[in-house]
Amino acid sequence: MNKIETKAFIQEKFAEYYRLNSASIDPPSSLANREFAFLLFKERMMLRHKGVKNAEDLRTLLKTVMPSDVYYSSAHYEKPEEEMEAKGWLGADLVFDIDADHIPTPCGKQHDTWLCNNCGETGQGAHPEKCPKCKGLKFDDKSWLCEMCLESAKRETLKLIDVLTRDFGLSPQEMTVAFSGHRGYHVHVEDEVVQTLDQMARKEIVDYMIGIGLEPRLHGLEGDLGPNLEEAGWRGRIAKGTYEILLNTNAEQLEKMGLKQNIVNSLINQRDKILESWKSRGPWRMKIVSSESWKKIVQKAIENQSVKIDTVVTTDIHRLIRLTNTLHGKTGLKKIHVSASDIERFDPLKDAIAFKEDKISLVVFEAPEFRLGDERYGPFKNIEVELPTAAALFLLCKGAAQVKEEH
Amino acid sequence: MANSYLEPILIRAEARVEEAILSNIIETRSPKDDVEISSFPIAVMLVAASANSHLKRRYAVAEAKRVSNLLKDESEEKIAAVARNFNWNIKIVKFNVDALTYNFALSFPHFLRNAATIQDAKWKLINRLMLNGEVYLTKNEASRLLQEEVRRYIEGKLNTEVGALPQNVMERVERLKRLFNEIKGKIPSEEIPKEVMSDAFPPCIRELRKSALAGRHISHVGRFTLTSFLINSGMTVENVIECFRPASDFSERMTRYQVEHIAGGRGSRTKYIPPKCDTLRTHGVCPGMDEICSNIHHPLTYYKRKLRTIKTAAKTPTVPRE
Repeated sequence: MNKIETKAFIQEKFAEYYRLNSASIDPPSSLANREFAFLLFKERMMLRHKGVKNAEDLRTLLKTVMPSDVYYSSAHYEKPEEEMEAKGWLGADLVFDIDADHIPTPCGKQHDTWLCNNCGETGQGAHPEKCPKCKGLKFDDKSWLCEMCLESAKRETLKLIDVLTRDFGLSPQEMTVAFSGHRGYHVHVEDEVVQTLDQMARKEIVDYMIGIGLEPRLHGLEGDLGPNLEEAGWRGRIAKGTYEILLNTNAEQLEKMGLKQNIVNSLINQRDKILESWKSRGPWRMKIVSSESWKKIVQKAIENQSVKIDTVVTTDIHRLIRLTNTLHGKTGLKKIHVSASDIERFDPLKDAIAFKEDKISLVVFEAPEFRLGDERYGPFKNIEVELPTAAALFLLCKGAAQVKEEH
Repeated sequence: MANSYLEPILIRAEARVEEAILSNIIETRSPKDDVEISSFPIAVMLVAASANSHLKRRYAVAEAKRVSNLLKDESEEKIAAVARNFNWNIKIVKFNVDALTYNFALSFPHFLRNAATIQDAKWKLINRLMLNGEVYLTKNEASRLLQEEVRRYIEGKLNTEVGALPQNVMERVERLKRLFNEIKGKIPSEEIPKEVMSDAFPPCIRELRKSALAGRHISHVGRFTLTSFLINSGMTVENVIECFRPASDFSERMTRYQVEHIAGGRGSRTKYIPPKCDTLRTHGVCPGMDEICSNIHHPLTYYKRKLRTIKTAAKTPTVPRE
């Protein structure tokens, strides 16, 4: 099958999913006030400003439109079907998006590839500033997802839930956590008190999460004083982050923070004494580190403790969000709810599988080794294989394969 | 209104507004309580009748500051009562951290609604002690935060329609407007010249423009910032579109649509201005500050400042040759 036929094949599979699973598609709260949007397969165009009356209406739409991706507005509108200016904004859920794209991951995204548009040179990871071969500046990027990406995203999500719970006082019932179906997680807060927060207020919440604008002196770091491990909020986080750096970091990493050789040596040689100091008033008054060097360590501590959220999603009060239990056009996996208490055990590569029956024969161009469910597949390179539907659709959606012609 | 009973109230009302114009705060008061109390709604009426948004803002701030200053000396209970009047979810507490005593715990949405517009670093949420959804405040801080609430309340009152007023009252309104314009006239407003001076661009815009011209990918926030800045610096829509041409996914139709929209030529007809420095930092657009940056909050203010220094440098006479 060629590219166009493969696309039609994927669409047919997606449509089949919506026919068989329509009962699992639940509309969001305040349904009548939400805008819906559908990304169309063939046209790659977004059908926007759709209103939905009830769950049945939504399920019928999915079966007839047969979209590649389904979204609804985080905002509530008086008239969701009108143009943006005439919608009448009433409020918006507070939404957080955690995506491996925004997190430095241990895999270094080596599974992502780039292609120079000018000379055809390819490479791994994020594209370089200039093509090493022709100095070209334009690239096509292809993203992949691996267990390390997903694990990093999960760690950040846990950090986010922790801050929302302890600092923002939200209970697990007030948060909805979901795996996005690709490289990340979404956390929604629908509580009444956040609905009418404006962009400025949401920006302040973003800064709180990502550690922007934090002034250590306003958290008790002044002279030889500093916060303690058991303190709340960012005070405690600064202490905890500093503690972890002093406990775990080796000489090379400390030097990378811009610390001088003699300070690095004292920190390593006196590690026991430093750790002991946390039992009383912390290491802040120990003379081995100058206040300039404390600043560097604390800066790194803040960076480590911050939550790497997508800043644009949270500040955008008109954002479109993927609907739960619908498919992700880049993977064929579904967006799925995760209970906040169960997230540690959640396995996105297993629990988000939407297709559980049948097999499909493919021609795979190139794909690294990957896991789906309990099976491992690949690596593949220019090979014909028969794979379970979920794994096959994953490769097809990623553009790494085509359906084999049937003769 | 020419009534002798009302005359002192009208005089006091005008004095309130005059003080707001001249001192930015209202500190005097009439020795007669009934005059003082009645003069407030009358002063509001005078300012509302001026239909001047800058004067309304000035007056609302001045009255709000007065309330805030008065509250600082009141009991915690009184402050909490006023706050609850504005539907604040606030608790009286006693909580010592370092040398500070916090007297109040305020739910974070109410904090954000009022603090997000205050520029000082200590009002950023991330620099506050927040626990369980509550932000801790000293008595002075709670009063300062209430100032914002009071200001918005008064601004709301100032924006109500005023019917026809008697001539002697309108004369006072006109007098206050003249006074305000005189005072305002003394502060030179900085205009942006017609000619675009790229040497005066702030670091963020220089970086974004360099990336655009090199065809590198720019985030959505970055593209909006660059476009709105260039439009506001006086660049034509055509020249702005040219900046984006080197991008690998450049589409003239899409770019023209977006640039014209930001320039106010489409749809809502509003001309957009670039985001504030603070917002650019949040979205990772700020590449780091230079000397001018540390004194300003907006990229366009940077541009005006830098233009001024460039002009002054150009005007400075060179040493005449012997």
